[in-house]
Amino acid sequence: MRKVTLAVTLLGALLSAAEAQAQSSYKGPKVTITYLHGFTGADRPVMEKLVQQFNATHPNIVVRAQGQPWGTTWQQLPSLVASGRAADVVVINEDQITNFVARGAVSPLTDAELKTAGIDKGRFYGPLFKTADYQGKSYGVPISSVAYVMFYNKDLMKKAGLDPNKVPQTRADFLKAAQACTTDKSGKKPDEAGFDAKNLDTWGVSLYNNWVGSRAAYAAILQNGGSLVDKNLNASFNSPQAVEAVQFMVDLVSKYNVARPNSTEEAELAAFSQGKVCFFPSGQWYLDRFEQQKMNFGVAFMPRVGGTKQDAAWGGSSHLTLPKQKANYDKNKRAASLEFINWMTSPAQNLAWTEAGSLPVMPAVAKDKKFEGRPIQGVFEKLGNIYATSGFPWGGQVLGPFDNAWANAYSGKKSVKDALNDGVTEANKQIEQARKSFR
Amino acid sequence: MRGVASMSVTTPTGAARRPARLGDAHPLVPYLYILPFALFFLVFVVYPVGFGFYVSLHRFDLLSDTQPFVGLEFYRNLFDMSTPQAQFFWNAMKNTAIFTVISVPLLIATALGLALLLNRPIFGRAFFRAVFFLPGVLTVSVMGILWRWMFDNQIGLVNAIQTELLGGQPIPFLSTENIAWIPIIVGTVWWTIGFNMTLYLAALGNISQSYYEAADIDGATAWPKFRFITWPLLAPVTLFVFVTTVLASFQLFGQSLVITAGGPNRTTQSAILYITEEAFSNNQFSSATAMSFMFGLVMLIFTYLQFRIMARDARGEA
Repeated sequence: MRKVTLAVTLLGALLSAAEAQAQSSYKGPKVTITYLHGFTGADRPVMEKLVQQFNATHPNIVVRAQGQPWGTTWQQLPSLVASGRAADVVVINEDQITNFVARGAVSPLTDAELKTAGIDKGRFYGPLFKTADYQGKSYGVPISSVAYVMFYNKDLMKKAGLDPNKVPQTRADFLKAAQACTTDKSGKKPDEAGFDAKNLDTWGVSLYNNWVGSRAAYAAILQNGGSLVDKNLNASFNSPQAVEAVQFMVDLVSKYNVARPNSTEEAELAAFSQGKVCFFPSGQWYLDRFEQQKMNFGVAFMPRVGGTKQDAAWGGSSHLTLPKQKANYDKNKRAASLEFINWMTSPAQNLAWTEAGSLPVMPAVAKDKKFEGRPIQGVFEKLGNIYATSGFPWGGQVLGPFDNAWANAYSGKKSVKDALNDGVTEANKQIEQARKSFR
Repeated sequence: MRGVASMSVTTPTGAARRPARLGDAHPLVPYLYILPFALFFLVFVVYPVGFGFYVSLHRFDLLSDTQPFVGLEFYRNLFDMSTPQAQFFWNAMKNTAIFTVISVPLLIATALGLALLLNRPIFGRAFFRAVFFLPGVLTVSVMGILWRWMFDNQIGLVNAIQTELLGGQPIPFLSTENIAWIPIIVGTVWWTIGFNMTLYLAALGNISQSYYEAADIDGATAWPKFRFITWPLLAPVTLFVFVTTVLASFQLFGQSLVITAGGPNRTTQSAILYITEEAFSNNQFSSATAMSFMFGLVMLIFTYLQFRIMARDARGEA
């Protein structure tokens, strides 16, 4: 924490000097805007510091920031917007944004507005910016991003005869490496006679049953050219590409015995920390934990285990949005809010924000010297291949059945095909009803 | 209170001569007494229930310009088994019933057992009373994470004993249908036992020792003393504990959410957990509200039956 504060202070000192000279796009009279966000953990002081800096460098704009738990905002936003009392700028996450957009809670950011404020879509990672797009319009600017990555244990890879600086990239290479990492309690390898799959001493990859675990299947499906929903936004994660991709993930457990069956995120996290598993795909938020533990580990982008169509992994993100306001809403407030959004998502501020645990939201920040030699840099090259589960207004209706389908396939309760088919059937029944709410 | 009462007693004719003064005889007085409670009752119970019913009859979304009236569509959905709502709601109701039927007897029997043990003059009695009561002060998330770890499919303490000491294969408690109830029920008993135990301890303290002395003289052993003295004298408390525990068990939410997330395949998803999913994950507020009313109706029927039993018991005792 102290490290974070110090870095922010130093950075702040440097930035405010530079910023004082920077041109603000807002030239109107002095206005006060409100800013509602959900950065209430260790990231709160970093955000507060940034807001302070903005206020110090923008004499004609006063930002009043308020942080409250995300869930509270999701529950309050509809009634606030309906009564015209919503904050001027609200941060909305990738799992909620399309729903709020489709229900009309958020106002579109026109190209002209973005241009005036100096917000260039091109400075962000493409898919990340598009996370807040809906029906050809943009509704938010990314400020924060997390992703599903693959941690790997360098010591264990060495022990297994693998080059720890060469992370497997393809399905075949990944399987080979995972097999090399797998040994049963009597020291036998998966291809040896008498190998006891039920008593693994070390194993190749961590798969597990919760929603984070299902993001392995999500990545695989996208890599194989599949998707969660089709063009009409109906669930489609039972396409042949999806079945084929998820089948390989399940085969890692049931056929190749390089992952444990029936495991939980906690159990796999403990196993990875104890050096029992080579590859641990999960949220990049575990980075701090492994760094503090002084593990000899690396971070890589999710290899193309699902297919060869594209690189892909799951990501979550937070977007600065302008909620719908009353008809007589002050235009100056909107202009000032856009200036605030531009400033907050500029390279210098985003670099400061990464101290709070976010990934860079734009290539310019990822190139910063600060990251050189840091494990997380291993995924920077492919940050443009991270895809959020957004774009359809019925997030819960799709992701609930999808996560459940993964749990069923992974545990072997259902065949991959049945699990995905049942999930899609359930999802589409629920979507059919949700659709009635969106005219 | 007392001022008003004494005033009307000392000046019985005052109220008649000066009607503006609020004596007990004034017809408004009773209403003024209940006004503070009535205000809260109207604002926090009657209005939300009425508004909720309105919501359940419309396709309701604050963000929408119109709230189209749909009549009983969301209630009908609950009785049309082709809808996911009917399927999942009644499944959740069944789960809630299973949990109640298993956990309530356990919560009563173990609480009574512990109270009997801790009512005797044993060493460290106050300490043990505190020990059994303490888990109740934890929040459900702390308790849930604790028991999720204890019963983890791979690294839980229970599975460590199973594999290391008993030499078996780990049991995937959290992801096996039916077995997933074990961590939830064991955790709930551990968490809430102290409250019932304390009620029983208080009741045991109120039983006069003279009954037991008389029984001793008659040569009664421990079991007849329990069966014919303790148990009948505890009946009112048992009834109270039973009613409150049943109602609390029907409210099952946090334990399922944290320990199993309602899984595997919704087999531990409680009614309230599903209603929450429909409202806040699926954003189907009207449908969730209709479910809440249905759930409330079922609770009302149960409470009615319990009151009937209570009334019968009261008559039986009189």
